[in-house]
Order: sequence, then C-alpha cells, then structure tokens
Amino acid sequence: MILLEPHNVIIQTTLADKILKPSSVDVQFVDYDGVRFHLSTTPERKTLLLLSMHIRCWDELVQYGALDVLRREYGSLLQPQSEPDYNVSLAIDLEQLPASNEDRESFIMSVALFKRNALAAPFEHAFTSQKGLDSAGAGTGDLMQIHYRDEEAIYIQASHDRVTVIFSTVFRDETDRIYGKVFLQEFVDARRQPSIQTAPQVLYSNRDPPLEIRHLPNLRNTDDTGYVTFVLFPRHFTNPATASATISHIQLFRDYLHYHIKCSKAYMHSRMRHRVAEFQKVLNRAKTEVATTEKKTASGRTLVSR
Amino acid sequence: MSNVLRPYLAAVRSTLTAALTLENFSSQVVERHNKPEVEAAGSKEVLLNPLTISRNENERVLIEPSVNSIRLSIKIKQADEIERILCHKFTRFMMQRAENFIVLRRKPVPGYDISFLITNTHSETMLKHKIVDFIIQFMEDVDREISEMKLSLNARARIVAESYLTAFNS
Repeated sequence: MILLEPHNVIIQTTLADKILKPSSVDVQFVDYDGVRFHLSTTPERKTLLLLSMHIRCWDELVQYGALDVLRREYGSLLQPQSEPDYNVSLAIDLEQLPASNEDRESFIMSVALFKRNALAAPFEHAFTSQKGLDSAGAGTGDLMQIHYRDEEAIYIQASHDRVTVIFSTVFRDETDRIYGKVFLQEFVDARRQPSIQTAPQVLYSNRDPPLEIRHLPNLRNTDDTGYVTFVLFPRHFTNPATASATISHIQLFRDYLHYHIKCSKAYMHSRMRHRVAEFQKVLNRAKTEVATTEKKTASGRTLVSR
Repeated sequence: MSNVLRPYLAAVRSTLTAALTLENFSSQVVERHNKPEVEAAGSKEVLLNPLTISRNENERVLIEPSVNSIRLSIKIKQADEIERILCHKFTRFMMQRAENFIVLRRKPVPGYDISFLITNTHSETMLKHKIVDFIIQFMEDVDREISEMKLSLNARARIVAESYLTAFNS
C-alpha cells in the first residue's frame, strides 16, 4: 500500500455492519491530524445513528464555506445543532437508505469521506476563485490559512493562472528531519521524469517561508521548519472529477510523507537487526569450544560438575 | 574490497595482532583489584604508546595498548547528514547490545564512533586471530551497510515521490 486512502475505514466498516444488523453502538475514534469522531445510536431508536466530528480548524473551515460543501454532500443528514464537544454532526437513518446495493455502497463511502469533505471547502473555494480571476486576467485571491495541526498549517492562494498550496512542516525528531529532507528533495526532483511532467510543480524550502506567506505574522522560523509548495494548474481542477481527486490527494500529503518516513525507519531498524546478528555470528566463531567429554571414575560412575 | 581499503585494513590487522599480547596483571594501586589498565589508567608505566592509523581525515582507527588490555576505537566515514545519522543509529544499535558483543565498549572514546575493549580474559577465552577477524570484518561491512542503507532510503524516497505525483495524472 503506497498511497493512503482518503476515507475513514472505521466509519465505513461500522456503518456497513450496522446496516446489515442494526444494534446500539457508541464508539469514539480518531483520524489523521487529531480529528475525533463519535458514532452513536440514540437511546430511543437503534436505527438512528449520529456521527459527530471534531476538527481543530473548524472555525477556519466554516469561514471558507465548509458548511455549504457539507450541505451539498449530505443534504438533510447534516444536523443544525451539533453534539456538545464536537463541531458538526450527521444523523443517519438506517431505515431510509437507498435501496440498491450500489447506491448503498456509494452512500457509505460518502459518509466515510466526512473529514475529506469538510477539509475540501477551502480548496473548492480556491478553484472557483481561480476561474473568476482567470476571466479577469490578472490578480490574486485571498490567502486562506488552515491550521490543521498545532504547529503546522496549509496555506491556499488562488491566482489567475494557478492555485498555490503551501504546507508548513515541522519535524520533531532529528532523524525525521533528515529523512524528510531526502524525501522532499525527491519530490522536487521527481518531476523531471517525462511521465510526471504534468504533475503539479513542487518546491521545497527549508526555514525560509515562500514569498506568498512571508508577510504573515507568527510563522515559526526555526531549523526544523520547512515549506512545501504545490503549484496546481487549471488542468488539475477544471474537470470536476479531477478536481475532487486532486483535493482528496493533496489533503493527505503530510500523512503520506510521515507514513513513509516511519516506514523507512522501520525498514532500517530491521536491516540493522539483521546485520548485528551477522556480526554476532562472526564473533561467536572466536569463542573456543569447551571440551565436553564425559568423565568417569574407575568404578564406572560419572562425574558431574556442579 | 577496493584496492584503497586493503592496505588500511592490513595495517589495522597487523597492528592489532601485534598489540594483542596481553597478560594477567593485577592493579598496582589497589590491592586485590584487577582491572583493564587502559581504562583505569592508574599507573603510567603499564600504558604503551597509543597509535592512530588513518585512511583519510574522516576515517581512522586508534589503538591504545596496555599491559593487560587494549582499546580500539574506530571513526567511521560520514560524508553527509544522512550518513551521519545512519552511522549514529547503527553504532547505537550495536552498543545497546554490548553484552552480546563481549569485546564491545558501551560508549565510544570521544572523537570516535565506536570502541572495543579487549582484555587479557578475552584473549584467553577466545581465539586471538578470530577476534582480529571480527574487528576487520566489522570495519569492512559497516561502510558497506551504511552506504546500502543510504541508497535504499533514496530509492524509497524516489518511488514514494513518483507514485504520489503520478496519482495527480489520473
């Protein structure tokens, strides 16, 4: 599995289970970037599921139209009042599901994409404002900031011929930082390949923020900070299907990067374990073998050392 | 083995073999104590001249002999940041398992990456030439292992980046 999936597997499997066999449920679980979910049934009716989500940057997302996106995706499922401690809630009535199997599958999938859809709002906003600016011929849209983690943020800005997405990254660990550098350098270099010429342009800068966000206050300016810029061209989002694939894909960039850094570390570890075992064998050859011949007395009894 | 590496390892091998003439020697300072003199450094007259064998400025071996023990420290080649972190990880991994590697020291001597301490007990219970073989083999393999790890990291990074960017085309 090289690429990560944009949907939440727990929502998908739990929901599929409950559709087959409705029973009371109360689970809390998490997703990437500290997103918390709570899936529960109401005490009165087992068939009415309530799915709530807490997401750190909810206020910012609402500002960029997350509610509209969610209303478009989920319609009447979206609750006007969210559960306490959570930002947004969906009510799913298991008795009013689409009848055919395929529709049901796609309904489950759309619920499992809850987090993805909430986070898609600023991207969609940027894509539409790019279209507006394109007809105007020049200018740049407003800079949207999404602080999706404590120390990291996504910045999105539309301009007349492109949409720029900037991820700020912070590596806590020294090893992660060095591995991350290798990975990000490859992201920059990979585009030279003829097969991926059409991919978004990737830029990486360590410590120095890119020009688009340099004016912002409270940017961290330490050695462990880096900025990754993706330049999305109209070909990545003019077609609605491509646009939604691009959004799902680019959202997962940080998780993807860190997932593979962790994988590399695990691989290095297993490799070192193997190599050290080899060295151990070489050293064991140096040990002299103690002769273990059986000693017997004249009468035939065996001597045992204690 | 490259032709440049061979004389370096040969020099280490013959120096180490020559230095491994150890005998049981009780401490002159504390009665009924018997400790590796190169570590305790209690009496100067039992310490011999330390010797450095350098391949280049980044790769060298320090051999410190004494009457009943020798200490051998290796500085491993670290060309860049990645090699530095991989080398650090690898030596740390080994030193945490020092009790299995009887001759390995838990901490390196300052300025070096990994140290071995061979006492007269080790040279009595183990075959001397095989201990030398082990150290030479270690020196040979560790460089190769680190460069292979670096290559695999780069290869993985390339595949990861390419598959992420290719997915935008679909």
